[in-house]
Amino acid sequence: MARAAVATRTYLAGPSLTRTGLVLGLGALLLVLALGAAVTLGSVGVGIGETAAILGHRLLGLPLTPTWTPAAETIIFELRLPRVLTSMLVGGGLAMAGTVFQALLRNPMADPYVIGTAAGASLGAILGILAPLLLPALAIGAGSAWLGLGAVQAAAFVGGLLTVLLVYRVARAGGRVPVVTLLLTGYAVSSVLAAGTALLMFSSGRALGAIFGWLMGSLAGASWPQLAFAAPLVLISFASLVVRWRVLNLLLLGDTQAMHMGIDVEREKRRLTMLATLATSAAVAISGTIGFVGLVVPHLLRLATGPDHRLLLPASVLYGAALLTLADLGARLAGGIPVGIVTALLGAPFFIWLLRRSGSMAAVP
Amino acid sequence: MPAQSRYCIRAPSHGAREPGRQPARDVQLPRVKGNGIIMASRLRLLFPVLLLSFALIACSASPGGGPVASPDASQPAYPLVLTDDAGRQVTLPARPQRIVSLAPSNTEIACVLDACDQVVGVTDFDDYPAGVASKQKVVIGAQVDVEKVVAADPDLILAAGNELTPSSVIRQLAGLGYPVLVLYPRDLHGVYADINLVGRALHAEEEAATVVAALTTREEIVAATVAGAERPRTLYEVAVYQGLIYTAGADSFLASLISTAGGAPVVGDALSTAIQLEALVTADPQLILLGDAAYDASITPASVASRSGWSGLTAVRDGRIVLVLDDLLITRPGPRIIDGLEALARAIHPELFS
Amino acid sequence: MIATRIGAAELAGAVGLEAGYPLPGGGRREVLHGVNLSLARGELVALLGTNGSGKTTLLRCFAGTLMPTAGEVRFDGRSVASWRRGALARRVAVLPQQLELPGGFRVAELVAMGRAPHARRLFGSTVEDQAAVERALTDADATELADRPVEELSGGERQRLLVAMALAQEPELLLLDEPTLHLDLSHQVALLGAIRRLRTQRGLTVLAVLHDLNLAASFAPRVAVLDAGRVVADGPPLEVLTPELVRRVFGVPVDEAHTATGRRHLALGEI
Repeated sequence: MARAAVATRTYLAGPSLTRTGLVLGLGALLLVLALGAAVTLGSVGVGIGETAAILGHRLLGLPLTPTWTPAAETIIFELRLPRVLTSMLVGGGLAMAGTVFQALLRNPMADPYVIGTAAGASLGAILGILAPLLLPALAIGAGSAWLGLGAVQAAAFVGGLLTVLLVYRVARAGGRVPVVTLLLTGYAVSSVLAAGTALLMFSSGRALGAIFGWLMGSLAGASWPQLAFAAPLVLISFASLVVRWRVLNLLLLGDTQAMHMGIDVEREKRRLTMLATLATSAAVAISGTIGFVGLVVPHLLRLATGPDHRLLLPASVLYGAALLTLADLGARLAGGIPVGIVTALLGAPFFIWLLRRSGSMAAVP
Repeated sequence: MPAQSRYCIRAPSHGAREPGRQPARDVQLPRVKGNGIIMASRLRLLFPVLLLSFALIACSASPGGGPVASPDASQPAYPLVLTDDAGRQVTLPARPQRIVSLAPSNTEIACVLDACDQVVGVTDFDDYPAGVASKQKVVIGAQVDVEKVVAADPDLILAAGNELTPSSVIRQLAGLGYPVLVLYPRDLHGVYADINLVGRALHAEEEAATVVAALTTREEIVAATVAGAERPRTLYEVAVYQGLIYTAGADSFLASLISTAGGAPVVGDALSTAIQLEALVTADPQLILLGDAAYDASITPASVASRSGWSGLTAVRDGRIVLVLDDLLITRPGPRIIDGLEALARAIHPELFS
Repeated sequence: MIATRIGAAELAGAVGLEAGYPLPGGGRREVLHGVNLSLARGELVALLGTNGSGKTTLLRCFAGTLMPTAGEVRFDGRSVASWRRGALARRVAVLPQQLELPGGFRVAELVAMGRAPHARRLFGSTVEDQAAVERALTDADATELADRPVEELSGGERQRLLVAMALAQEPELLLLDEPTLHLDLSHQVALLGAIRRLRTQRGLTVLAVLHDLNLAASFAPRVAVLDAGRVVADGPPLEVLTPELVRRVFGVPVDEAHTATGRRHLALGEI
């Protein structure tokens, strides 16, 4: 009896405090290290001391006499810092969305883009890239900015959101949205949009390089205004999702049983989908379609945290942020290649390793 | 590797022809630097699509060139507001002392205006004049390294249009407060206008006018020499890849150069710059200029003649297939474009130029 | 033939219930026709019938997860449709016939999920929650399973886990869909015995779908028999489960037999 009491207490308090502490603590540490490394390192060398001084001066308002060049300050504060913060935001947001979709769709292959966000955002972005070529008034000189976004990002953001709304609408039958239908509809709509995208790419002319770069996903254009646009969306989404860990756990039991246990399944599915899509669209708008982060990070974390979303979700965000930051650092040092290439090159073999290691996908029926 | 047309093609508007330059390709690895600059790259790009991207051009109808400078030393020159080739208003607060060039053609323009010493950042494709290769590289493998540009602390950045410098980079640099001039010449007059524009920016208007005058004279000499001579139908082969023949696009810079040099250009599609074999046979060029021979030793008159379907062309039957080793000059829209024009004219009308 | 309880405090009841499912090609298949079934507080009712007679459908209507085509189901005086999902889940728990369990969890964690309708803290659980889980594990005879990963459980152990999950919800009404599936006889008896005990201890009202007539007769003081979506019998098993009824509804001839201790038993003939 006493032993049972201890056992249940252990599992009720959540994943044990030690495990929680270890996973989250390690994640935070990794994030801080990634942040430090990514701000300090780059194709132009800026010493650690100088970096720290610049950050202290600009962020904390420390009254230091500038011993650094204005160029160094621009590099650290206007180029690297926003880029690093963006990679943290995007990495965390994508990992969070991937975790949510894997639970919502009860599918281990789900990633943030699976119900059409990537296809819609890509089409939007390409239209945004091509529009100035067809209508010169929208070209560089016009410099339109909507909430800190250029035309391409705004179009990508809207494209992603609208596509998911469309998919959700199409998949709804009799007031319910069965999970399998949602998945398949997402796939179908994505295919159609991808065909449109390919057609546009085929006739895109000189813009093909820009389009391809966007599709691969890159943090090169990171700036403070873009961060200011995306950060509130991702953070609101995070705050709303992280407290819904019970819903995510219960959804793993299936729609019917979740209903029996008090979840308004259709409303929650809609809410979860929209929150995750909001974060994903915001991330994709400012960084293109970066792959593998949203797919691999939740699986990776489940090995350490188990399937309980109380720990899994916050942990995914932490590690996703850290890993993408490190990947972007690698991308920068490798000659400025798009970070999506790095995540694909590293993510795919890693995913295969994960698969073989765990035998089968753990935690999802 | 797919070839790319080097010339920007634009649908005619207001009767003005505004062909544009397109960076061309290299057989190993198409690398494009600045307008119409063919860069022989040692890197292996794994993505053919990137190569294709440079083959396909659509010129937008943006106004070309900046105002022609009228030298006026009496007025305080700075601060100066200029309109660049992309229609952007750029403000120069003072005379630029540190220039970053994002395309070899821009570097050559700066150097011809005696500002070579002020150039502090170039691309890894820069090779003229002699000293530039040792300058700091801020563009590597067609990727603009913004950190390096910032580290060079420029007060003037000369960018290339037509997405050769990606517009996102231009936006980023302009957003950081740097004056960015986009140079995007679409014909010889565009080149002259760019030289004048940079001349105004550097307060070297007289220098610019002199250079432009000399270039104009040489252009006029070429035009006069070939005037009245029969214009052979001329195919300028940019590349042949996967059965597609890439040449000068309709209304492109290259097409206008060929015209000025006394030829009648056989043109490809305005957007893709490609011409189908059937169309080529119909056009039946009398002269074939092998621009890709500059990069690929295996392309010779004999290899061209042996291509299936080509043997019936007049040029092949007459044996008028010429290697053009100065392709670089023909496709880099800087001051040496006239050298390229002269090379073209010599290739088209060897009998008129001794 | 259909006995209605008049005067007893009703906890849940179906009145004129018609329910069914949409068919993939369009149209509907109506399963229940005009079902009236009333459960008073503290009652223990076994629901019998052939496959396809609508037992699970009826259970789902009581649980509020299937909306009736006509008629209504009431819980605690209000139509089930008017209950908010979370509020209903605090009072009604369902033991499903089958449930695919997500891997990676341990038994105690899954049982703890049953506390979700009562959850008050954002991230943690209260002392009441922990106590409820412990009680649920004990009552479901699943205490020694607490640590075990869910993938390792046998059929019977899974059943005990599902019972514990339902009990953790601390419901007033317990709806069991074939709780004795996969269990050996001793476990079947133990489980049903536990449920009877819990009914007394916790004041549960129980509606259990069973397939074994004799087991149902031993277990429940009241039996309701469904045939093709209609309640054809409702009352004490001795009165209701006659050989004629069994032959008519189940299509099998049985004899009444009496054991040495005087218990009645429905016996099959030679097969």
